[in-house]
Amino acid sequence: MKMADSTLLAWQAVIAHKFRTLLILLAMGIGVAAVILLTTLGETGRAYITGQFSSLGTNLLIVLPGRNETTGGAPPLLGTTPRDLTLGDALAVARSPYVERLAPIIIGGASAATDQGLVRDTTVLGTTAEMAHVRSLNLSRGRFLPAGDPYSAEPVCVIGITILNELFRGQDPVGQRLQLGDRKYRIIGVLSDEGVSVGIDFNDMVLLPVAAAQQLFNREGLFRMMIEMRSAGNTEDAIADVRRIITDRHEGEDDVTIITQDSLVSTFDRILSAVTYGIGGIGAISLVVAGILIMNVMLVSVTQRTAEVGLLKALGSSSRNIERLFLIEAIILSCSGAIVGVSVGLFTVWLMRGMWPTLPIHAPVWALVAAVAVAITTGLAFGTLPARRAARLDPVQALSRR
Amino acid sequence: MIHLEGIRRDFRLGEQTVHALAGIDLDIAAGEYVSIMGPSGSGKSTLLNVVALLDRPDAGSYAFDGVDVTAFDDDALARVRRENIGFVFQFFHLIPRLTAFQNVEVPLVLASVPVAERRERVNEALASLDLSSRAHHRPNELSGGQRQRVAIARATIMRPKVLLADEPTGNLDSVSGRQVIEIIENLNAANGVTLIVVTHDSAMGSRASRQLRLVDGRIDSDQRR
Amino acid sequence: MKAGDLIGFAGGAISAHRLRSGLTILGITVGIASVVLLTSIGEGVRQFVMSEFTQFGTNIIAVVPGKSNTFGTSAATINTVRPLTIDDAQSLRRLPNVLAVVPTIQGNANVEFEGRQRRAMVFGVTHDMPVVWKMDVRSGQFLPDGDFTTGRSVAVLGAKMREELFGADNPLGARIRVGGERFQVLGVMESKGQMLGFDLDDTLFLPVAKAVELFDQEGMMEIDIVYAADADVAQIVDTVKRRMMQRHGAEDVTITTQDEMLEVLNSVLNVLTLGIGALGGISLLVGAVGILTIMTIAVTERTAEIGLLRAIGARRAHILGLFLAEAVGLGALGGIIGCIGAVGVVEAIAFLVPAMPVRTAWIYVLASLLLATLIGLASGIAPALRAARMLPLEALRAE
Repeated sequence: MKMADSTLLAWQAVIAHKFRTLLILLAMGIGVAAVILLTTLGETGRAYITGQFSSLGTNLLIVLPGRNETTGGAPPLLGTTPRDLTLGDALAVARSPYVERLAPIIIGGASAATDQGLVRDTTVLGTTAEMAHVRSLNLSRGRFLPAGDPYSAEPVCVIGITILNELFRGQDPVGQRLQLGDRKYRIIGVLSDEGVSVGIDFNDMVLLPVAAAQQLFNREGLFRMMIEMRSAGNTEDAIADVRRIITDRHEGEDDVTIITQDSLVSTFDRILSAVTYGIGGIGAISLVVAGILIMNVMLVSVTQRTAEVGLLKALGSSSRNIERLFLIEAIILSCSGAIVGVSVGLFTVWLMRGMWPTLPIHAPVWALVAAVAVAITTGLAFGTLPARRAARLDPVQALSRR
Repeated sequence: MIHLEGIRRDFRLGEQTVHALAGIDLDIAAGEYVSIMGPSGSGKSTLLNVVALLDRPDAGSYAFDGVDVTAFDDDALARVRRENIGFVFQFFHLIPRLTAFQNVEVPLVLASVPVAERRERVNEALASLDLSSRAHHRPNELSGGQRQRVAIARATIMRPKVLLADEPTGNLDSVSGRQVIEIIENLNAANGVTLIVVTHDSAMGSRASRQLRLVDGRIDSDQRR
Repeated sequence: MKAGDLIGFAGGAISAHRLRSGLTILGITVGIASVVLLTSIGEGVRQFVMSEFTQFGTNIIAVVPGKSNTFGTSAATINTVRPLTIDDAQSLRRLPNVLAVVPTIQGNANVEFEGRQRRAMVFGVTHDMPVVWKMDVRSGQFLPDGDFTTGRSVAVLGAKMREELFGADNPLGARIRVGGERFQVLGVMESKGQMLGFDLDDTLFLPVAKAVELFDQEGMMEIDIVYAADADVAQIVDTVKRRMMQRHGAEDVTITTQDEMLEVLNSVLNVLTLGIGALGGISLLVGAVGILTIMTIAVTERTAEIGLLRAIGARRAHILGLFLAEAVGLGALGGIIGCIGAVGVVEAIAFLVPAMPVRTAWIYVLASLLLATLIGLASGIAPALRAARMLPLEALRAE
């Protein structure tokens, strides 16, 4: 029998039982669409978060005060040290040939009050003019923190968009005063909507010159230093140089932790990729269930068409031909199911992209290929047993059974 | 027992309307033995189905055992069938996965008869039809005659007033066929069960005490012996 | 028709097609098993995380700087205009029903003994810390009780810190240097192990007043309050809140009871478990389509049987019941096998590898069983209705 004829026969068998075929397509479709959608969700989360880190700017180093010797443990994210990381350290590091820009950071909580008496608890970030470049911050009004002597505690501040809306709704805040603790600051600028980035909400934030923040919190030590390296190629050298400068200044004591943006990104990338594979795998379980269903229906089909098989054999069809006939039927079913699933999956992804245009939603190509491959493989694998069973039928007995 | 008046039953075949029953008036008394004969398409099976309450007439009225059942709903009809009518079919209609015992038991199960009574009645019925040794065999392990005897046991297990047989010997060899005929005739003669047999076999039809002949949906002749 | 007969009849129909029924059940089994396994992983993680947090003492209220109503850490923990001070802690100590108060300041410092050095976490705490953190002293004693604002130059070592600095030697009484200052070792803690990535053994404990000097930082990270077990929590929270208002002139701290925190954490983890359970449920959906398909085929194949049953007096409800019972049976059997299999795997893992965070989520096991049954019912409805609606005569003819 020719391939084309086998396919035609199998196709006729498929469309003879429309409802049954529809249900199989539904089952396979659910499985394939589930895999595509779940991996898309995982992939989107991964792309979003790594994108957030990448938006920090490449070539980024973060210096934290303190260092733990416990390997594998968390870095000293919070807490303080006997020897602060100082503004002087920051200025010294900024002079390193490896450093393009450096933004010192002091962070803390304070309640912000307007002259009108509106109050809001907010986050205060003390930093320098460099911050705008390091974090690519944009202003919707006014200007950013003044460049110049970082030791100068000029009483000015830049506010985020949430502060603007909560405390200065409908007003132009630039030039007005904002009270933090018992000190007053002149507002010189408003950030544009920055959204929440890497867990930091720049919208609900007041930015001060770093020296002003030191005064406000009565604390000299820096929370972090963000360093933009001159080039990406020699990260190791840059880390070594920064460490050397600080150790020199700290009387030979190596008491800082340095994190590269790359290591952060790749950590998150690894974790989220694993999550994506995981949920994709969970979705794939339903493909196996769909495969079992195909096998089941094929077995029923073989039983129901026993007489037909007997006739074909009596007419001189070989066992291989019969086996091929049923296998083709299984493949037609699983392939059509995969097509349905891919269509539904991609359509939903397209809808989601329309709904959340800012998110990097896209179905991972590997997942598409894998889902379709798994669908067809299960169809084939689960179709083999029924096909074999049909091929092994004895023509005489097959014909005599009604 | 059975009183039919002006029964009409039409079927649409494409554009045409076929009058399967074109006005049947018929009275069958309790304990009668009636055969219905006629050529293919004469409406004899349709008449049997109407009498069996499986098919509803398009016109006319039907009183079963003095009760007008023409307007009964589906469930009420099912109840009448369950309690009063036994069926014997040409193709036996045994449930293949059930044993002979279980097949006979089905009507009792539907009627929620207690298990102990069920066992007793089924065993009795099987014994009376010489099927005790085959009680736990499935239909595909039985011969045609045995299958039809199981079907008769099932048809009579509820002690129906009416037994309807549609070509009961049509699928049997002559020895088994004769055996089956004798069994159902004996039910009529000994127990007073009203027996209605549809057949195209005139030898069998002529055994009945009352012979109806249908032609084109009408009763062509109604002879008593 | 009696319920027992209905089940028997449906069971007979299921077992008549062993392979076909087996495969349909297998589909549901795979789905239910994946739901049970996934939720068991979720439950295991939940129990693991909860046990990490409940290894602290009970009846604790935490006061942290900054007002935040979210679960996250406020930036005020790092710096704040009006810090939580030792004096605040001292003052809270005098409130009714307060058994102990532990102000905590955390830092990172170099600890040195005879040329050996180690950088690690340094906690400034008070005498009652072991009650709050449920830690035990292995040798010597913990920090002395007394006024929070004055502290002697004494230190207590975490188990790992002791090992790194002293090896096999006896550390009690030895003088170590921390950030250039000398401290006398007063005691060594029992090992406590890791807590969510933090090694609680690689630590040094100093009197809080000394830590404030060492780090030159006035503000506490947190003040923990242990209250009397029979006291009304809400009332204590209220008095603490009022006392802090008095002292700071504004509501600028966040007060969390341990119960609240555990509750929030618990509900987050429960939602997570439900979420991954739902992901596993996708395959159940496919399994349901499987039952629907097979039941549809069964109704078609058994049309003649339906006709016969109707002819001999079965009502529509009988037929509906028979096929529904069959579908429910397929679903329930799949559910039972899936649950038994998955629970077996989970229990085996929990027994053989106790470190794996996998625990049977019994509530989900029960829910899965119920779900499997419902799935059987739901996917049986359409075919069963089709069967029940068949006209007896036409069904009989369908041989």
